[in-house]
This record gives sequence, structure tokens and C-alpha cells, in this order.
Amino acid sequence: MSDRITVEELSELMKKAAGVTVAPQELEQRSDSGFDALGIDSLGLLGIVGELENRYGTPMPPDAEKSKSPRQFLELVNGALLAGA
Amino acid sequence: MSEPHPRRAAVTGIGVVAPNGTSTETFWKSTREGISVLDRITREGCEHLPLRVAGEIRGFDPPSAIEERFLVQTDRFTHFAMAAADLALDDARLPRSDTDASPFSVGVVTAAGSGGGEFGQRELQQLWDKGSRFVGPYQSIAWFYAASTGQISIRRGFKGPCGVVASDEAGGLDALAHAARAVRRGTDVMVAGATEAPLAPYSVVCQLGYEELSTVEDPDRAYRPFTAAACGFVPAEGGAMLVVEAETSARERGAPVRATLAGHTATFTGASRWKQSREGLAEAIRGALREADCAPEEIDVVFADALGVPEADRAEALAIADALGPHGTRVPVTAPKTAIGRGYGAAPVLDVAAAVLAMEHGVIPPTPNVFDVCHDLDLVTARARAAELHTALVLSRGLMGSNSALVLRRGATDAP
Repeated sequence: MSDRITVEELSELMKKAAGVTVAPQELEQRSDSGFDALGIDSLGLLGIVGELENRYGTPMPPDAEKSKSPRQFLELVNGALLAGA
Repeated sequence: MSEPHPRRAAVTGIGVVAPNGTSTETFWKSTREGISVLDRITREGCEHLPLRVAGEIRGFDPPSAIEERFLVQTDRFTHFAMAAADLALDDARLPRSDTDASPFSVGVVTAAGSGGGEFGQRELQQLWDKGSRFVGPYQSIAWFYAASTGQISIRRGFKGPCGVVASDEAGGLDALAHAARAVRRGTDVMVAGATEAPLAPYSVVCQLGYEELSTVEDPDRAYRPFTAAACGFVPAEGGAMLVVEAETSARERGAPVRATLAGHTATFTGASRWKQSREGLAEAIRGALREADCAPEEIDVVFADALGVPEADRAEALAIADALGPHGTRVPVTAPKTAIGRGYGAAPVLDVAAAVLAMEHGVIPPTPNVFDVCHDLDLVTARARAAELHTALVLSRGLMGSNSALVLRRGATDAP
């Protein structure tokens, strides 16, 4: 586990928390697509945030679960992790 | 307000996922042959509980029927519902391309008694083992008895009127009646029915409080309604979804009208008040006949509720006699659910599926494990009986007091 949340980890969490399989490479390419287009609904994103909070033992920013795209989400959570480090 | 040409509600597709078959064909074959699949309960975490016999579905592989996203987000009872809906839509020859072309003309209505017990238990175990932060967000919807309607409509892209009926076991029939009303009001196609998955440890423990539950160990003796040895009912999982369609819409697209939903009435007589259910069930039958404009003598077969509790069986036999008069002791009665158990709200929908198939094939399926009937009924036991069937009556009662009756008429066109 790195101190940064990678596209790989997000891909793994999307599968675990929401049952949506998008390979890391594809997720990288589609990082500006909406989560809805990737098949992740609001509960799915909430589940991903919950998993991250349990893994890293720290709260994620309240706006994380409202992120529209993977890029926006990763910037937000990694910004918070960096600030908390 | 009466219309000159009311829209009749037809059954054009049947999808079954049941303990005796995970396709409509295998369900019908097994039902017609009277093969009982009741067996010792084997579901993990249930083996040590006082419920010994159940109707388990052992041949259903969820990942082969449902996409991973929907598997993760929903409970087993919704897996059954989505799979049965797919089978029903295939059977009705309504591919995705057709429903995508007019999504507002397709709605969904389901009934469920217990909701997603297995999913709920898993998440509650997370809560008590690890804490509230480990409960997944899909718990908020997956356990809910309304989940299947929403997930079917999301998964298939339906945007027509949707609904959920919560009225006990009889809710299965009430959901079909609700679909028929939606069709009469102008919706072309309703995907309607009920599925249940009550065989997880938490759910089984909840049922142990029902005094009507059979705890007999021998699968051949655990569920024998209408006999002196009646000792309660055996629970089951699975269910059926039907495509209920405007007869005009079916004819326009050349789909066979398998049967029509001709009449329905629901009544309520109170939880476990079986003696009083006589009056409620008789009134439901009378109302369904009235709506169907059907004389008692026109009923060719009755699919009984068949609870398997002596007082309830007596009330049902008397209700049939009260409502059908002398015809009540002559009309063939059957309860094929003794082969698979009672799937709560799903049980009467499976009976409707069997009734449509029985009318098509001219065969009344038997009531397995039942001999020596101790009521004044012509119960079809041992083996199937050939009969020309035009009209069927399906009965259902719930443990919480709902009673319901549905009259089905055979379709004008025979199935291929």
C-alpha cells in the first residue's frame, strides 16, 4: 500500500465495492469520464470512500463521494492524504 | 367508467426459478410428473436449526445469469427475480432492442415477504464484528423487499409504471392483479411476479416463530396438506416472473396469448386466524368470479393455498364449497407446491405459472406426498390428470391474514 491512491487501487475498489470491472489502464484513459458512465452509482462511490477510510484509518474529504470523475476523485483523496501526512 | 373495449391483460411470458427447475421447461416437467424435491436443509448456518426440511434451489448459478455489478449490489431474492424476468421476457419474445425502443411502455411490479435476509445478515455481521464503518452502502437497498422491482427496471432500462406490493404470501397474486390494472390503464407490458430467498440463517430463525412451520425431519412427511397427518408447511426459495401484456399489444406483435388474468379479489382476516380465513377466502373467490364474469361451474381446476395446518386446510375446503357451491366438491383441486414447499409471496405466482402451463397442456399436475385426503375435495394426488382446461382459479393466503383469489382464462391461441 503506497501513501498515494493509485488508479490500480481505485480499479480494485470499484470491483470490490460496486462490482464494476474496469482495468487500471482503461480507467487511466477514461479518468475524465463520469463515474455514472463507468457504472458506478452514488452508493458505489460511497462504498469506495468507506473502504479507503478503513484502509488508511483517516477520514476522506466530505466531497470525495460527490466526485464526478476518477481524476477528480483521485486528486481530492490524494490531496487529503498528503495534507494529513 | 366502463370502456367499450377494455384492455384485457394477457400472460405472454413465463420465467421460473424454482427448487424443481431453474427454467420454465424443467419446472413444468417436474411439476407435471409430481416429483418432490423437498429435502433436508443444507444451506450453511442452517443445519443445526429446528427447521429440517426446505425447498432449496441447488441448480442456480448467479454469476452465469446476472452481471457482477448487480450480484454485488443485490440479495439472492433479487438475483432470482432478475433471472426469472429475463426468462419471462425471452419467453414473450421481447428482446432488449424492442423494450429499448419504447421504455415507457414497460413497467415492473413485484411482491416479496421477507426481502434480502442473506445480504442483510452479512452486513449486520460486519456491523457487530468490525463496526458501523464496515457496513457497505448497498445494505441500504439490497435487504429491502422493494429491491427487485427497482433493480429489474434499472437493469433492463424500463421506465414505465413500477410498484411493489407488500401483502403477505397473497401478495404474489395481488402483484399480478396490480399489473393487470396497469395494463388496463394503458401500459402495454408489465413484468410482474414474486421471488423469495428465505433460506439463510437469520431468515430461518425469524420463521421459527411461526407455529404453522413444519419441523418434521422426513422430507416425504413434512408437508402434507389436506390429510390427517398435516403438520404445517415447508418453506421454499425462488419464484416466478410473468410478462403481463395488453392483449391488443400481444396480437399486434404476433405473440401468443397464453392466458388472460380475468378476475381478482383480495381480502384480509387477520394473522393466523385460519377459521376466519374461510369467510375471507370465499369472499375473495366470489369477487374474482364476479370480475371475470365467470360462473362457479366454469372453473375447471383450483390451485389451492394448501397451508398444511388442519384448521387452515378445513377453512380452505369450506371456502371453496361456500363460493363454488356443489361444484366445489366436484372440481379438481391441486397443490403442486407440496413438491417444492411454499415460497411465501412467490408460491402463488408459481401456481399461476403452473396453471397457465396446465391449461396449455391439458394436464392437471398432482399433489406429491399427499394421500388419504380428509376433506370433501377432489384433490389430484399421485399422478397428473388429463383434462380439458379453460379456466383456472388460484388461491393464496398469508400467515399475516391476507387472502387472495385469481381467475385465469386460457388464451385463444394455443402455445406452439
